[in-house]
This record gives sequence, C-alpha cells and structure tokens, in this order.
Amino acid sequence: MEEVKAYIESGILELYVLGQLTAQECSEVEAMAAKHAEVKAEILAIELAMESYALENAITPSAALEDKIVAQLNPTTTDKIKAEPKIVPLYEGANDGKIKILRFALVACVALLVISIAALISVYNKLNSAHDEIASLSTQRDQFATTVSKLEFNKAGMENRIAMTETNEWATVKLAGVKNSPKANMLVYWNKTNKNILINYAAMDLPKTDQSHEYQLWALVDGKPVSLGVFGDNAKEAVKQMETIEKAQAFAVTIEPMGGSQNPTMEKMVVMGGVTI
Amino acid sequence: MATAKKISLSEEELVNALKRQDTIAIKALYDMYSGALFGVISRVIQQTEVAEDVLQETFVKIWNSAGSYDSSKGRLFTWMMNVARNLAIDKLRSKDFKNSNKNQDIENNVDFIDQQKKVSFNADTLGLKEMVTNLKPDFKDVLDMVYFKGYTHVETAEELNLPLGTVKTRVRMAILELRKKFN
Repeated sequence: MEEVKAYIESGILELYVLGQLTAQECSEVEAMAAKHAEVKAEILAIELAMESYALENAITPSAALEDKIVAQLNPTTTDKIKAEPKIVPLYEGANDGKIKILRFALVACVALLVISIAALISVYNKLNSAHDEIASLSTQRDQFATTVSKLEFNKAGMENRIAMTETNEWATVKLAGVKNSPKANMLVYWNKTNKNILINYAAMDLPKTDQSHEYQLWALVDGKPVSLGVFGDNAKEAVKQMETIEKAQAFAVTIEPMGGSQNPTMEKMVVMGGVTI
Repeated sequence: MATAKKISLSEEELVNALKRQDTIAIKALYDMYSGALFGVISRVIQQTEVAEDVLQETFVKIWNSAGSYDSSKGRLFTWMMNVARNLAIDKLRSKDFKNSNKNQDIENNVDFIDQQKKVSFNADTLGLKEMVTNLKPDFKDVLDMVYFKGYTHVETAEELNLPLGTVKTRVRMAILELRKKFN
C-alpha cells in the first residue's frame, strides 16, 4: 500500500495524463493502473481535473470554422453544400498499396494484350499459308484427276483397238494428212459384215478446232461425198460410232461449222485415205 | 449548420459513434469540445488564424485516428487534448510558423519574445485571471512549460534549474490545486 501511495505521489501519473511519458513508461503506468484500483482512480481524477480546466478555459472559435471542419470530415455534405473547397484525400497512404497493385495489373494486362496480338498475327499468317497450301493441293488434285480421266479415256480407246485387231471383222482405214496439215493422221474402223463405222480418239491426231467448228467424216462413194456424221475435239467415250455405209472408195475429214455441212469444204480437209480392201 | 441544435452525447456514445465513423460524432465532437480544444491550442499559439488551422488539423486527426484510441487507457478528452497540444507544438516549431512570425510587427514580436521568456499565461487571451490567482506562480510556471510550451519535464528542469523530482512534484501540486477547484 505504501508503495502504491509513493507511486501516486511521485507525480508520474500527472505526466502520463499530460502525454509526457515514453511508450515504455506509459505501458508501466497502464500495468500499475490495471493492478491497483487506486492508481486508476487517481488517473481518472487527474484527467477530470484537466478536462474541467480546459472546458473552463474554452475559447469559442470563429463560427465559419465549424462548417469548414464538418465539411472536411464529411465529404458527402461537401459535395452538396459547396463545390469550391477542394477535398484533400484523407487516406492517401492507404491507397498506395491499391494503386501499386492496380499498376501491376495494368502492366500485366498490357503485356497480355501484346502477347495476344502477337499470337493472333502468327495464327493469322499460319491460316493464310494453310489456305494457300489447300488451294495448291486442290489444284494438284484436279490435275491428277484430269490426268487419270485422260488415261482412262486413252486406255478405253486402246482396249477397243486391241479388241478390234483380235477379230477379223474390222478393216482399218488409214487416213493421212493432206497439204494443209501434213502431220495429221487418223484411223477409221469399218465392219466388214454389218458395215458399221467406228472412230477411236486414241487413234487420231487432228489439228485443233475452235469453239464454233468441229470435224465431219465423209465417205467418197462413186465420186460423191456422203456425210457419216460429226465429232468434236473432246468426247466422253473414246470410241464413237458413225453412220453405216455399204460401200466407199475413200474416207476424209473436214473441219466444218458446228452441226456439220451439206457438202464438204474441200479447202478445210485435214486427213484423207483410200480404202484398200 | 451552425444554427442547428447543439448535440451532446455521453462519452461512451461519442466514442462508439467515432469508432464507427458515424457523422453524428463530428457534430457532437465539435459542439462539446471545440472550445476546450481551441483554448488548449490558443495557449500554445497566439495567432487566431494559425490556431484555427491547428484546430482543424486536430479534428481531422481525431477523426482519422479514432481507431487507435483505446478507452481502457484513458478518457477521450485526455487523448484529444494531447492530440491538439502535440499538433500545436509541432506547428510552433515548424518552419512555416517561424517564417510567418518574421512578418509580424515589432510590437507583437516583443510581446511574443516577452511571453516566451517569462513563461507565463497571456491572461487577456485566455480569460484566466481568476485561475492565475488561484494557482501559485511556481506551480503555474512548471505546468505551463510542461504542457503548453512543448518542453519535456526533463527540459523544464534544466530550463528552470530545478531538480527533476521538484518539477514532477510541482506539476502534481498544480494539478492537485486544479482538482481541488473542479472535483
């Protein structure tokens, strides 16, 4: 008890209330106050004395100050009442961390955007080259298909030729190039029994015609030309059957306008051959 | 707003409102304590304008630091009074304030230096005539230096050329006299 009394009388509690002590000394006083009710009561008495003293000597500040302070502490009323005073942010420090995080996030977003754009460009380029590749592959495929169908066509023609040479029913008439087209040549197959005429695309080499012209096959019968039908540059079947003819001394092919002509245009004759059988 | 009815809350209600940042606490704090705090600040700083700036800073600090106030360690007013006192002393020692003092006319300056040397209350400013007569000059000087001039009790002992124990005792005696008067 004596110890507590001495502690109170030392004047340390007054210094505590007046904010004169270090943090460590403060904790010591607070520990004593928690332990001894007398110390706590003494502190309260000192506090009340200082408080009354201050209230007794109060000085009313100018009336304008209240609005200023209330407005500063309560930003929502500031907006409504007066717009002029600039509000100083009260939590500047507290936002630093947030701003830092947001800044990092922004940098990360920009980086991500750059990476995304780069990836997009690369993918776009790959897509373009893939498109080119597909186009070139499909051209190649078309070329192969053309080649294959041409080969099929030739094969069908060749098979027919072989079949015809193996029987003795068919006579082969060789038509040779004339003055206008010395390199042209063609074979005409004439059935000895039923007098059918066949031509074979695998066995002809004729000068090309344009879009408005085609070939016409003629038979010379006793000095007169008889039309055996027309045929074009291209055909679906390698072998084409022409009109039958009972007898002929020679065959010839002329180039005539689409649909054929009544009489052969002699100057447009490409091949001709006499019948030797 | 100034014409609105004055608000008065119990200390507990006020502390709770302050802790949860209820705006009613601003009004209550101002109505209940602005005068007392301004009185404390005005003892440290004589210029009314500067003192009002410090009072504003004090309210801002009280509002923002409400979370750090611990009611188990003392009364709210004691905490607020020390906030006001410390801000006022910081201002007194700041470069801004020292520079602004250079612009004062000679008469004021003489007065100011005079006050600092004599370490006495400016009774006109504070309306403390009765208080001063009640307090013995020895006690009053020590309390004044320790509390309102920003001296530590150690510095006060050196300044007044007194043993530290004597300073402590005089502070205690000064406050005991105040207690006799108020409690």
